[in-house]
Amino acid sequence: MTMQSSVTRVIGIAAISVALASGAPLTFAFAHEGHQMECNEGSINAMKADIQSMPDGKAKTTAIKETQAAQDMLRKKDTKGCMAHMHTAMEAIEK
Amino acid sequence: MVGSSESRTKNRQWTVLVTAIIVIVAVACLSAVSTFVYMGAFDVSADTPHSQPVYWLMQTVREYSIAARARDAVPNDLSDAKRVTSGAGQYAEMCAACHLAPGMQRTEISQGLYPRAPELRRGSSLTPAEEFWVVKHGIKMTGMPAWGLTHDDEILWDVVALGYCRDS
Repeated sequence: MTMQSSVTRVIGIAAISVALASGAPLTFAFAHEGHQMECNEGSINAMKADIQSMPDGKAKTTAIKETQAAQDMLRKKDTKGCMAHMHTAMEAIEK
Repeated sequence: MVGSSESRTKNRQWTVLVTAIIVIVAVACLSAVSTFVYMGAFDVSADTPHSQPVYWLMQTVREYSIAARARDAVPNDLSDAKRVTSGAGQYAEMCAACHLAPGMQRTEISQGLYPRAPELRRGSSLTPAEEFWVVKHGIKMTGMPAWGLTHDDEILWDVVALGYCRDS
């Protein structure tokens, strides 16, 4: 990375932060944290949709595996196990 | 003479058979498609993701369509600080609600869109010309609007400049 591109990048990040702080609509409603998701088909589908938009890599592989495990636990009605796998999947999705 | 006549008859029988098979297959396909469409078999809800093959198909069609159409010349001042700053302002106004920004939590709209809008923080595999084309023309059935209808090209290049500086 050249000096110029580093400077441009810093300017870009700073500019977008300022712009967001000053110009972003106040009506942005921050939704729940992923970790508070419930173990149900809807939440698992939401995670699957998130995963589809992820670039290929280790995080995506982990997220797919953990979501599948959560779905298996849901079928077995093991809510605790399901939540544990969903938590790990969400962490991978947020990377 | 007799042999030639028999051969012609056989050929005609084959032609009739092949034509009949083609017609039957075509009618069967048409019926299957009609049933699929008119029975409402395809789930269009945004909270049920596509199966992986359907998702792959949509994504591949989209990628090649964009690549085939992104033909605008890229300005050579994309890393200009003024452009990037202007792009950041435009981005905050037009894009951040769906594509988010560094340090920003996921919005309700970003969680509800399907397919999910690509997040700025994850970078992009598109070239600047492709990004410009997407911003200008939008993408059908994704929620991505055609900003070119309401903004001039220079403003849209500023937005692309922001993404360019992020990736460089």
